[in-house]
Amino acid sequence: MSREKDINNVLELQNVSLGYDRVIYSAINATAKSGEMIAIVGANGMGKSTLLRSVSGILKYHGGVITIDGENVNSYTPGELSIKISYVPSQSPKTKNLSLFDMVAAGCYNRSNWLGIIDNHEREFVNSTIVKVGLAEFISRDSSMLSDGEFQRAAIARSLVQNSKIMLLDEPTAFLDIANRITTVKLLKEIASKEEKTIIFSTHDLLQAIKLCDKIWVMGHDSFIEGTPDELIEKRAFDKMFKDSSLKFDAKLFTFL
Amino acid sequence: MGWYIFIFISLIIFVLLNLTLGSVIVPFKEILNFFTGENTSKFVQDIMIPYRIPKVITAILSGVALSVCGLQMQTLFRNPLADPFILGISSGAGLGVAIFVMGFSAFGITLTSSLLASVGTAAAAWLGAFAVTILLLMVSSKLRDNTSLLIFGIMLGSVVSAIISLMQYLSSSSALKVFVLWTMGSFSGLNPAQIWVLFSLVLAGLALSVYNIKDLNALLMGEAYARSLGVNLENTRKRILIATTLLAGSVTAFCGPIGFIGIAVPHIARMLFRNADHKVLLPSAALLGAVIMVFADTIAQLPGQPGVIPINTVSALIGVPIILLIVLKSRFV
Repeated sequence: MSREKDINNVLELQNVSLGYDRVIYSAINATAKSGEMIAIVGANGMGKSTLLRSVSGILKYHGGVITIDGENVNSYTPGELSIKISYVPSQSPKTKNLSLFDMVAAGCYNRSNWLGIIDNHEREFVNSTIVKVGLAEFISRDSSMLSDGEFQRAAIARSLVQNSKIMLLDEPTAFLDIANRITTVKLLKEIASKEEKTIIFSTHDLLQAIKLCDKIWVMGHDSFIEGTPDELIEKRAFDKMFKDSSLKFDAKLFTFL
Repeated sequence: MGWYIFIFISLIIFVLLNLTLGSVIVPFKEILNFFTGENTSKFVQDIMIPYRIPKVITAILSGVALSVCGLQMQTLFRNPLADPFILGISSGAGLGVAIFVMGFSAFGITLTSSLLASVGTAAAAWLGAFAVTILLLMVSSKLRDNTSLLIFGIMLGSVVSAIISLMQYLSSSSALKVFVLWTMGSFSGLNPAQIWVLFSLVLAGLALSVYNIKDLNALLMGEAYARSLGVNLENTRKRILIATTLLAGSVTAFCGPIGFIGIAVPHIARMLFRNADHKVLLPSAALLGAVIMVFADTIAQLPGQPGVIPINTVSALIGVPIILLIVLKSRFV
């Protein structure tokens, strides 16, 4: 294992094992730079959500070190961590009678006053972010009435308003139709490259991960592999994703056969 | 804005109505004279100053406190049926009162409506509620999430209630009657000093609740996301618990456990204002709570009856239809 420190690494995972009382997945070594879009793939129950939650600081992890900007995740206070990292759960609860604007503006938590009121500068930022994710027409509507695709984009906007360096998203496309999946992932790609943010999301859509992501973290059934899509195809890393070794990844068709 | 004016006007109307009604009906004109400082009869002053005005102030404070408290519990637990007492605070208060009342009777002393009895009961209830909160605070930092806290609180409440039942079973009939009367709730009998204590505690609880608004709004996004926003969940949980004790614990100490208002009023506020923002919900629930509590107390003393109906009976009759409406039309939640 190389021990050299890369100054460009926003996020580093060294020999991380996940789980609290017992280890559910171990030996994770991975890095992320700013501007990178990274997909986490793996079979159900492998621990993709646990990995994201551990990185976000919501969950304690069993061993190893997760560092953000060179500091251990656990050494940050919740307030400090919220500037570094934001986390979008796979399904956020919907609240009746909460306007889309208020929902997205919640991302300003750390920059609002003691009552949660934001200044005009921040209001402008919230407005422009809602426009950016394509929800301008819904701005004063009830957020609980949005469709699943629109709601997911609203959650992404909220995370963008938080303005953290790293954005973590747990299966952002899980409940979306094909058209919404494509727009959502393209939006993430655009954010990563234009705003120099690190975006890490879990997905079951391998094809999209290979086509659009800079890197993929494969949580295989026996080991963790990190690499660019091309490297991983070369190494036949995707063949190790599932326990069933008869499933082989076809690099031409981008699917399992 | 329109609703605020409407609620405020209804509050004034119900307060006046409340002051008029009772075992003796005081005409409106006399009440207006009383407030404008014109000469009123000694008779009216003797009814208003020691009895009616303290009672209506107590009702207002209770309504405000229980509604604001219920709102915070519902948001913290994301549960539309959470109420101020869901974590066992009223059971704790009940245990305090039970120990006080039945403890005295064990020594052969019967507590009647003396000053010692009323002050002692309030203090015992407050200590009981406070003890439960201390226990919850100690446990809350070790619990994974708010749901675990909810389960712990409900279990704690059940255990405490079981102990109270055992004490009731073993106690004398006169002590039992004092205790049962306390559980029925009452706004009367508070002297000015007691009202000042209640007022200060409720005011402190309200101040802390207003400070909680920002975190309550963040909690609407879900616990995991609130954490990611930078909310210190443990801290927030503790602040909400302390506010709950100051509000519901104090009201319970002085007036007994008053049910249903704490569940129902936050929902009425949501229905009227159609806004999930606690900057709107908290003041509106406070105002509505005052109106509904004064209204309930007015019904409790409608003329044509010798005494006063226990306030808990009335609050249940008003609160239950509202709660049923919520369950049947869950779109309001």
